[in-house]
Order: sequence, then structure tokens, then C-alpha cells
Amino acid sequence: MRFLDLLTMSVNNLRRRKLRTALTVLGVIIGVASVVIMVSLGIGLNALMLEQYASYGDMTTISVYSDSYYGRPSDDTEPNFLTDEVMKQFQRIDHVEGVSPMLSTYVIMKQGVYETSMSITGVSREYLEKIPLAQGKAPEEGDEMKLIYGNWIIQRFYNSKTGEGYWETGELPDIDYMNKPMFVIFDTSAYYQSQGGGENQVKPPKKYMIDAAGVVEGGVDDYNSYAYSVYTDIEALKTQLKQIYKKNPIPDQPTNKKGKPYPYFIYEQAVVFVDDMSNVMDVQQTLIDMGYQANSQMQWIEQSQQTFDVIQLVLGGIGAISLFVAAIGIANTMMMSIYERTKEIGVIKVLGCDMGNIRNMFLIESGFIGFMGGVAGLAISYTVSYVMNNYLGIGQIMMGVEGDISRIPLWLSASAVVFAILVGMVAGFFPSLRAMKLSPLAAIRNE
Amino acid sequence: MPELQTPEGGSRGLEKQRVPIIQVKNLYKIYKVGETKVYALGGVDFTMYKGEFCAIVGPSGSGKSTLLNMLAGLEKPTKGEIVIDKIHIEKMKENELVAFRRKRVGFIFQSYNLLKTLNAVENVALPLSFRGMPRRKRNEIARKYLKLVGLEKQMNHMANAMSGGQQQRVGIARALAVNPRIIFADEPTGNLDSKTTMEILKLMRRIVREQNQTLVMVTHDNHLASYADRQFHIVDGKIFKIEECHHEDEGEIER
Repeated sequence: MRFLDLLTMSVNNLRRRKLRTALTVLGVIIGVASVVIMVSLGIGLNALMLEQYASYGDMTTISVYSDSYYGRPSDDTEPNFLTDEVMKQFQRIDHVEGVSPMLSTYVIMKQGVYETSMSITGVSREYLEKIPLAQGKAPEEGDEMKLIYGNWIIQRFYNSKTGEGYWETGELPDIDYMNKPMFVIFDTSAYYQSQGGGENQVKPPKKYMIDAAGVVEGGVDDYNSYAYSVYTDIEALKTQLKQIYKKNPIPDQPTNKKGKPYPYFIYEQAVVFVDDMSNVMDVQQTLIDMGYQANSQMQWIEQSQQTFDVIQLVLGGIGAISLFVAAIGIANTMMMSIYERTKEIGVIKVLGCDMGNIRNMFLIESGFIGFMGGVAGLAISYTVSYVMNNYLGIGQIMMGVEGDISRIPLWLSASAVVFAILVGMVAGFFPSLRAMKLSPLAAIRNE
Repeated sequence: MPELQTPEGGSRGLEKQRVPIIQVKNLYKIYKVGETKVYALGGVDFTMYKGEFCAIVGPSGSGKSTLLNMLAGLEKPTKGEIVIDKIHIEKMKENELVAFRRKRVGFIFQSYNLLKTLNAVENVALPLSFRGMPRRKRNEIARKYLKLVGLEKQMNHMANAMSGGQQQRVGIARALAVNPRIIFADEPTGNLDSKTTMEILKLMRRIVREQNQTLVMVTHDNHLASYADRQFHIVDGKIFKIEECHHEDEGEIER
């Protein structure tokens, strides 16, 4: 028998008892809709959480520290400082796209009457290029030292005459990074000594005028991971430091056991860029195995994700129960249908309808119930999902983030329909076997 | 008796060339009711030939329906042989029997057994669809046979919108449409009034003649059986006599 003929017969049989078919389909609709909505909520919650973490910082970066830098006593082991040599090792780890060392130096900055003290962080050019800028652009290679200011930095400047800053006055200082000169004092200890007066009066250190390369985007209240730092190209910073301190030890650089500085730069921190979120944890473990401290956003996400997996499982399970009830409904409908059609099934068997065809006819029928329920249930899911996302603001209430709480990706809708058809066919399987085995004698028995 | 039933016996040409189509040898059907055995059929032997209109006649409970069921492969014999169109069917499995019926057998039922959701053409075409025949082709065949049984005007009527006589005509067309080797009819006029009964009976006779079909009809009515070429009288599970009828009044019956 041709598939099209089978399909026609099955659909005709369903049309014959419209009310019963509709009620059975309704069961499947509710089942499918509850599974899809529940799973979509799980996906939505998870995605919202990821978005939340993503707003805290880049998901594919790992920060690396060395214990040795902070002077942990290690008598027998060589200190495992973060050096250029180590950066090259990091670069060779699988899935690592780039490495940026970080070198900070504490400085005093002055513009007009405003001044502040803070760290300048030297990072690689690759890192600089990732920073979203509101004004200016990342410094070019070989440029002299230029600074990128975080969008919160302006809050730190205070008026050197009144001693009051943004926190006291509530007014932003009148600072123009891009157009007015910024003076930077690197040798802060010499500066404080020169300010101190008294007997050990020291000649004030040299002030350097450093240009701004750009300002991080965002207002004074918008948080991002670059907001509270001043960045510069690490190579330029190193050149600058060597120039300033010449043979003298550079502050904050560790010294060996004899108290002498090392002949190379030692970084307090490094950032490793990984190609994909899914590889972050592996790379992080590799770094820890190499003897460094490493942490990333992913480790927090991993924990939350496990929680959300459980939530999703519970939600999906609740939905699955109603789908299971619907499956029982399908089985019941098919059984009833077979009892009613005993004679008819017998007749087509006498007329030579293949047993397999009879079974398939019933499987198609129950599968079709599943299909209709699946499609209609999906339509309802999309509607409910749309309402939840656009009118109820549940995302805002539950997670405190803007965004869609219920998300139905394409794979979910496709698999919902396929699953509904499968559920229908599984529910119809035993009834269909029963139909197949019915005796043809029932047909010709005269009543 | 046996020498008459062998194919050679047929071709020896006592009357004309007779090709056996059904050969039954020593057929038993025993039902167990509690401890006692009930012989529904107690050793039946006969041969039916191609182009014959045979009637199996007997009172109710005589085993005639059991016999028909076994000839059509709906029930399995307890012992004995059934050879139809040179094929032994007594040991076939159920799906083989279904395939056998699909390819070789047409069926006419007492209660017509048309599918209510289908119209006349679709009902006639139904057994052809079991063979995987495309819709256009099978509907064409169905229309041809509906014309043959005189239902040109009712082709697209739904099955349950027709009278009993019309429904049985559809049933006859359905049995013919598959071009079977044998047609089995189980009390085909049992649900019809006497006038329609005559019409249907004459129709069946005419078509069997024209198409050179073999028809096996089961009935309890001796008068109806007398329209057949041969009557197999069956009583208590045994063939009690085989009666040949020569119809000089053939013309009168057919017109």
C-alpha cells in the first residue's frame, strides 16, 4: 500500500470522529506547550545569567597571578615569576589566542588644579584593542606612551586647593583628557619627600606630559570591567620606566634574595585570551597545573550553570508529566477506536490488506494526533513566551536584568514537534499491534 | 470419486475442458468444547472447476460457513489439504494468507461490509490500493466494474447513502475489481428482500458467465442454491450429496 493512501485513510478516520480527535489533540497541546515553555524558561534563565556575567567582563579571558610576586617565602624553589619567557609558554597552550602581561605603576596625575594618585596598567596592544572607547583610539605600535582612561577615573580627581573631589561636591571635575595636557609623576616617593619639607628636602621629580589615547565608553555611573583603570601600552610603559629610573630599582619590582632587582621585568598579573568559552576551564586548569593562580568568569558560570541545569531538569520534568498524561490519552483513544472498528479492520484484512499496513495505519493515526498537538502546542508556546517576555517583565523581577526570560530556539521547536509525533506513535504502538492481530473472522460473522 | 477430481480426470474431457481450481482432500475441523470434541467438518473431499458457479448448501450449524472460511484462508483446518490454484494454503502463516487473499480471492459479504467513510468508487478501489496501485488507475478500474453491476449513477454516493441492493452491487464490483481467481460469497442475499435477492443472484450468475469467474456461494436456501451449476449439500460436517443442475431456463434467469 502506498504511503499516501495510508495517510489518507488515517486522516479520514481521524476526521470521522472530530470531537474525540480534538480532545485527544488538546491533551497533546497542553503537554507540548508545558514542556516547551518550561524548557524555554530554563534556557532563558541560563542565557540571562550568561549575559549578566558577560556584562561583568570578558567571558573568554583568564587572569593569571603568581604567588612569588607577593613575596611568599620560598627558600628551596625558584620563584615562578610571570616574565616574558612565561608569556611565551602561555601562548603555546592549546586554544590560547593571546596573552597580555600586566604591569602597574603608581603615579600622581595633575591637570590644572585637579590631581589624583593611581595606578597605570601596562597591557599588550591586543588587550588595548579590545577596550571599547568612547573617544580616541588605541595607540599605534611604536607610539610614545599614551593613556586610555576608564570612564570612572574622572571621579578620582580632586581639587588640590580645596582638597574636595566629586564625592564631596557632587560635581565632576573640569577635566579634559583629550585636549588639555596631563602631567604624570612617576617617582611618587621622591615627590612626597619633596613636598614634605624639613631637612631631607629632595629635588622634586620630573613631571612628564603624557597624551591621552582615548576614554573608555560609558558614563560615570556605567560599570564595565575597564571603568576604573588607566591603561597604556606595556612596551611604552617599560621604556618609560627604564628611562626614569635608569640603574635604580623600579618600585614594586621584586628583588632576589640579595635584595637586588632582576635584570628583566616581572609582571604582577597576566591575562590569557581563550578562543572559546567552552575551552576556558581547560586552559585555566592547565595554568593552575603550571603553578600559577588563575581565575575567570567561567568558573563562576560553571557553578551557576550546574544549578540552572537542575532547575531546567525540574521544569522540563513538570512539563513531561503532562505530556505523559497526553500519551495515555492517545493510547486510550486508539484503543477505543480499534474496538469500534473491529469489523472494519477485519474486512480490510479479509480483502487482503497487509498486516503491516494495518499497523502502520494506526501508527500514522496516533502519530498524526501527536503532530497536530505538537504544532498547535508550539504555536501556544510562542504566544505565551511572547507575552511573558514583552508584557510581564518576569526577567526583570527574577534576575534583575533586562532580557527575554523565555527563549525558544529553533532546535527546541523542531524537537518538540518530532517528540510529539514520537510520543503519539509510541502511545499508539500497542493498540496498533492489537489491531494488526485482530481476527478477520470477526468481519464476516453476521449479526 | 478421486479419479474424477484429478487434473488428468478433468482434461480427459468427460464434458468439456475442466480446470480444477479448488481441491479439498479429507478436510477436518474439530473444535474442543470442554472435554468433548465437536466435528464442524468431518472429512470433506471435493473439487471445484474454473468458471463454475458452486453453491454450498446446508442448514445452520452444518459447517458450511466453516468450510467457506477455510477455503478463503480465514480459519485453519485441523487436518486435511486445501489446494487453491495449485497452492497449498492449509499450512500458510497469517501474513501469507493475507497476501494470498490479496492476490487471488474476491469476497462478497452478507452485510456488504463497505467502508462507511468512502464512496462507491473508493470502496471498489480499496482492495486494489492494498496492492499499491496508483489512485487514478484503480479508480478507473473501479468505475468499469461499477458500470458492469449497473451503478453508473451512484458512483460517488457514500456507502451508507445507498440501499441494500445497491450496496451489495458495490460489494460485487469490489470482489470483481481485483480480477480474482475465485470469488467467495457468504450468504450474499441474506439481508435483502426477495425481489432484490433475485436481481443480485441473476447479476452474479451473469457476471460469472461473462467473466468466466469461479464463484463459491454459501447459502441455507435450497431455492437460491438451485441457480448454481453445482450444489454441494452439507449436513453435520459432511458432504451429503453433490447435485448438478442444467439450466435450460438460462435465458429466463439472465434477463
